[in-house]
Amino acid sequence: MKGYRKYFTKKIVWFLITLFVAMVLNFVLPRLMPSDPVAAITGKMAGQTTDTAAVQEIYSRFEEEFGTNKPMIVQFLIFLRNLFKGDLGTSFSQYPRKVSDIISSSIGWTLALQIPAIIVGWIIGNVLGAVAAYKKKGWDKIVMPVTMFISNIPAFGSAVILLYLFAVKWKVAPVAGGYAFDMIPNFSWAFVKSVIEHYQLPFWSIVLISIGGQAIGMRSMSIYELNADYVKYSRFLGIRDGKIVGYVFRNAMLPQVTGLAMSIGGSVSGALVAEIIFSYPGIGSTMYAAVTAADYPLISACTLIITIMVLIATLSLDIIYGFIDPRVKAAQFDA
Amino acid sequence: MSNTLKNLLHSPKFMVGFILFIAILLTILIYPLFNPGNPLEMIGVGTFAKPGTYISLYDATSSQKETLKIANAEEKRIAAALSDEDRVKMLEWLSAYGVDVTEVDASNTDAILELWMANYNPDASIKGFTKSETRNFRLIQNRITELMSADTLIIYEEGAEDSKSKIVKTDYVNLNAIANVKTLPLGTDNFGRDVLKELVSAAGTSIIIGLIAGSVATVIGLTLGLLAGYLGGNADEIIMFITTVFTVIPGFVLLILISYSLGQDQRGPTIVAIVIGCTSWTWTARSVRSQVISLRNRDHVNLSKLSGHSLGRIILTDILPYIASYVVMAFILQVSSGILSEAQLSLLGLGPKTTTTPTLGLMMNWAMLYSAHTNGSWWAYFPVILTIACISFSLNLMNTGMDQVFNPALRD
Amino acid sequence: MKKISKLIALLLAAFMVCGLLAGCSGSGSADNATSTPTEASQATEESKTEETPAATEESKAEETPAATEESTPAETTGDVTDLPRNETLYFGGLQWGTVNAWNPIGANQNNFAIAGSPQGSRTVMFETLYMYDFLSGKLYPLLADGDYTWNDDMTELTFKIKEAAKWSDGTPVTAADVAKTFEASVAIGNGTGTTYGAYIDSIEADGLTGVIKLAKTEEGGPKNPLLAIDYLTGVYVAQAAWIDTMMARNNNDPVACLNDKAEDVPYSGPYGRLYDDDQKLVLVRNDNYWGQDASMWGSLPVPKYLAHAMYADNAATETAFKAGQIDVNQQFLPNIQNLWLKDGLPISTFYDEEPYGVCLTMPTAWYNMNIPVLKENPALRKAIAMAVDYPSIIANAMTNQSPSFEDVPRSLMNPTEGEQALYDHDAVKDLQWAGNDIEGAKALLDEAGIVDTDGDGYREWNGEKISLNACCPNGWSDWQAAMEIVAAAGENIGIEITTLYPEWSIYQTVFTMHDQTEYQIFMYSPSAASPSNPWMRCMMFMSSSFVGIDNNWSGNWGQYVNEEADEILNKIPTISDEAELKAAYTRLTEIYLTEVPSFSLMYRPAAFDAVNETVWTNFPSADDGRNITPYNCVSGYAIRALYELELVD
Repeated sequence: MKGYRKYFTKKIVWFLITLFVAMVLNFVLPRLMPSDPVAAITGKMAGQTTDTAAVQEIYSRFEEEFGTNKPMIVQFLIFLRNLFKGDLGTSFSQYPRKVSDIISSSIGWTLALQIPAIIVGWIIGNVLGAVAAYKKKGWDKIVMPVTMFISNIPAFGSAVILLYLFAVKWKVAPVAGGYAFDMIPNFSWAFVKSVIEHYQLPFWSIVLISIGGQAIGMRSMSIYELNADYVKYSRFLGIRDGKIVGYVFRNAMLPQVTGLAMSIGGSVSGALVAEIIFSYPGIGSTMYAAVTAADYPLISACTLIITIMVLIATLSLDIIYGFIDPRVKAAQFDA
Repeated sequence: MSNTLKNLLHSPKFMVGFILFIAILLTILIYPLFNPGNPLEMIGVGTFAKPGTYISLYDATSSQKETLKIANAEEKRIAAALSDEDRVKMLEWLSAYGVDVTEVDASNTDAILELWMANYNPDASIKGFTKSETRNFRLIQNRITELMSADTLIIYEEGAEDSKSKIVKTDYVNLNAIANVKTLPLGTDNFGRDVLKELVSAAGTSIIIGLIAGSVATVIGLTLGLLAGYLGGNADEIIMFITTVFTVIPGFVLLILISYSLGQDQRGPTIVAIVIGCTSWTWTARSVRSQVISLRNRDHVNLSKLSGHSLGRIILTDILPYIASYVVMAFILQVSSGILSEAQLSLLGLGPKTTTTPTLGLMMNWAMLYSAHTNGSWWAYFPVILTIACISFSLNLMNTGMDQVFNPALRD
Repeated sequence: MKKISKLIALLLAAFMVCGLLAGCSGSGSADNATSTPTEASQATEESKTEETPAATEESKAEETPAATEESTPAETTGDVTDLPRNETLYFGGLQWGTVNAWNPIGANQNNFAIAGSPQGSRTVMFETLYMYDFLSGKLYPLLADGDYTWNDDMTELTFKIKEAAKWSDGTPVTAADVAKTFEASVAIGNGTGTTYGAYIDSIEADGLTGVIKLAKTEEGGPKNPLLAIDYLTGVYVAQAAWIDTMMARNNNDPVACLNDKAEDVPYSGPYGRLYDDDQKLVLVRNDNYWGQDASMWGSLPVPKYLAHAMYADNAATETAFKAGQIDVNQQFLPNIQNLWLKDGLPISTFYDEEPYGVCLTMPTAWYNMNIPVLKENPALRKAIAMAVDYPSIIANAMTNQSPSFEDVPRSLMNPTEGEQALYDHDAVKDLQWAGNDIEGAKALLDEAGIVDTDGDGYREWNGEKISLNACCPNGWSDWQAAMEIVAAAGENIGIEITTLYPEWSIYQTVFTMHDQTEYQIFMYSPSAASPSNPWMRCMMFMSSSFVGIDNNWSGNWGQYVNEEADEILNKIPTISDEAELKAAYTRLTEIYLTEVPSFSLMYRPAAFDAVNETVWTNFPSADDGRNITPYNCVSGYAIRALYELELVD
């Protein structure tokens, strides 16, 4: 038990250190961008004024308000202090909206889109891969290359093609947005139906790209396991085929679960392309808008969320593996 | 070694991928010989010329004419100017104008034309037609006027009194007799550039970007992975910590931010490739590390250690050769992901800044900026997607093939 | 074996169904979670900013829906759950991103309903005294009653408010509201305050009559009467009582006032706020709108709702427009004629033929005078400008939605007849150029001694290779295409020009700095049409009053200085004699075309305006004899279109 405690303490300490360093980087990197968002706000506030002194007055007023005239380290300390209060700051580009307000209105869309899509893609991919490994011939010769080719179409490419075919050409899917253009959010069946319709294209575009990678991985793992000695031995012993296959796929699944956890952890950053192409409201679109507008507080918040999600995924994997994988266990006691 | 090669040559997956990749490479090398010149030259004024063969109208009028009497030429001419929908629309207008059209069939072009010519009045404002419909009727009228005008076109030289030549409806010119004929198999893009020529050149640039990015990523990943795996202990902890930091800050965001921070004028294709490499090495490092860990307690490594060989020597002679095949495969995957990253970055307008070399991502970016995908100009973006998919498909096929050769356990 | 494959197939099917269900229910609940916090945040904005906001987005999403679900829909949208298509007019390209505020005297509202500018304020919710029509240059009274009058020395402008004019809370609009709006604007330093504060001393109110007192020069004349007229068409009138409330709740702090969300604001216009979130903004008609009085429109505007969805980018907007989900679209659509010629869509523009819209401004490439080689060599400036292939820019970048420089020769004027008549075309004929003149440009450079001495194909000046960049913001596709063509022109005459497309956020901070050397040839548009133009535009091109200041949004970004031009520019606002004015503008044009401190690349509308007649029709068009401004049916005099729309049968 002592080994476990040591293992987990170490993992958690590293988790915290990583989190802190990532936070510093998340804070500093956007601010290295050679742009001045205060000037952007000033521009909006001042309009086409011909009075130049007034413009400069507005500028210094906002510089003061955002604290951009202070040294980076002071800015960071203020950021940390506010963070502990749950305040992610005020957005530059959507001033005076709060960052937390912007994030909370977009993250739901992203999670609702990405997580089911990743899971469905993962399931279909694994089933395909397993079948390909088991059935070989036919499946392996045709289905695998096809899935592989599809998975090699860049994400934006398949999104654009889906958009063109279904929304522009055949007009069977809506063109943009999270719900119908002629609706106001409410709790009616019609609205839910509209949300589902708008969900389809971005959903399937994500499913499509994730299938291939999963299928290939699962196929390799399954073949590896199918060729393993214990399978041959079991066959030799005359154990039922179905039972062997059960063992094989359970073993092959283990690394695939890692993949699933990591994809879910990375879902927020993966949302970028699909959300932009389909004008889907979500954190990907938000982040893209934030980057192009040099909206530091918003970028920092988005990247922070991504960081935390990936970190949590990694940490939980580490912990779960610590319990279930005998090799990891051994390594810890060994050390 | 030769045995491995032989096995590779016998792996259908590897061979298909390899041949596809070589075919792409050969096209990149050979096509410019047939179609030389600057791939970014704007040959068309205007945007998105359709794929097809273009003949010089100027040359055609002065070429040797032959008279051909083709039975349905006139019908085709009318069909090209007046679609079935146009005819229905014309009847609609006529009936709204108060003309009795109950007897007229929509397929009876002559009857419709006759009624139309007799009645159409561009200035009549008829209730019930929208602005765009009224405009469309005027456009139909323009086409009909052109169709119905004289049978002979007379060409004058600028400023001259006498006609230069006359063209009648039965005049034909042999395609081979025209001095200037240009085939644009994939049309032109929004700048009026030859898409095929640009695509071939861009594929070359993108492969180079992929190679640079792949090399950078593999070198960093390999070095860190080897060190972490072999040294273990604190060095391992620190290296893995750095790797985790790079993993948790999403590569894509990192990429955007770094390439942003680099400043605009330095964002050439090479720099972008290096930046891509610098953000995508993490999984190579992780996998190399785990491979090395499984190797480091092997007997031959321990033997070398006991013999007092230096760290460098042990890594180079006792570890590297055992994971070489693995590294090659990782490199191939990095190349293909580098090409994808460039395309993705450029699509968001964050890719390389260059006006002299086309890249696949920039082509895609311009096509999107001029909404080629919504206005039906498929030739401006679809071949680009297909090219990216083919390059990365061929690389991945090779990779899978190699995987099977190097890991006998994976063989079918 | 077979059994297993069947089982797997079954499983596969089951998974797909489950996945879909999970997806559907997931998205449904996500929507609940996402739509309510937005509303909640609006309703409880003040309390939230003062208290500690919820620690993370998750906890907030959990907290707020319960509290607000029942109350908010009723508060904000009444019983409206969907917008009947035949009662709603949809817009595109006028609103990007979420609405920030509803404050007519605030700043940075990012609100479709609020865009005040002399060339045509959007008067759907808040109203101006007059409406500007850029087709005729005329002012039509809106809140004002009849024409305004000047006193003899043009230092005082008198206007009257219509008796019928009412706020949405039923109280009458008075001149005191106009006066209070101006005072408050100056006090909190909003755009109006900073723009007009120096030129207008005060606005005095007496019942429905108001007097604008202009600031005077030392000689006692008015400083700038042109700007007073801009004020009439550009500045919204806000309610005096509400301004007091708003300023009191912000303790008169200027920045807080500028950013007040103003959700309680009364308005005088025909539409008020119904609903807004990250994806959509909806205004609803106020059926008690004062303008149905015979002294104004005599009726209510036709559409019951005005709606604007927020699309991610141009492509998404275009797709929605083609699908008939947008009726009025303010967006550059390449090859717009293909929408009806090829696709057969019921889409049209103000003119049926090129350039399809009314071009009012000219996106311009500015030479940076901080670069010695550009400052010292008018010949170089002119040579590059002469070599540029403008027909290609107009055909490729603008897809012919701009008149050519052969049709409208370059000057300081936009292509409208009114402005074109302001200078003597023949006097500057020899100075103009139509572009693509490679040989002429080369000759000019050779003559100026800028030649290639080391044989590398590029010319040198003072022994150094001339290497310039051409910049514009990333994603501004027509401008980017134009810059590519400028770079190609440089190549043709032996001047190295590379292109550079920074993000707008970076671009705007650099080109507005007075001492920047990063961008050497860079693009920006001068102002379009308004009562104070073309004077305002000429200022932007040549006035040295903008030189040397940072964060310069006013003009002359290339830091060009010319004393004679300054003198003429100072005089123009007070010249009333037409011949004298024409002489002044002609001389300015001469200086501009000789010195080439910048060169225009194309003509462009102030706003693109295309309509889809799937649902609505009777939009303004050039030949309908109604002379309604083609300005998206909402800006300036264009709003008249809303009263004359008809449904397609």
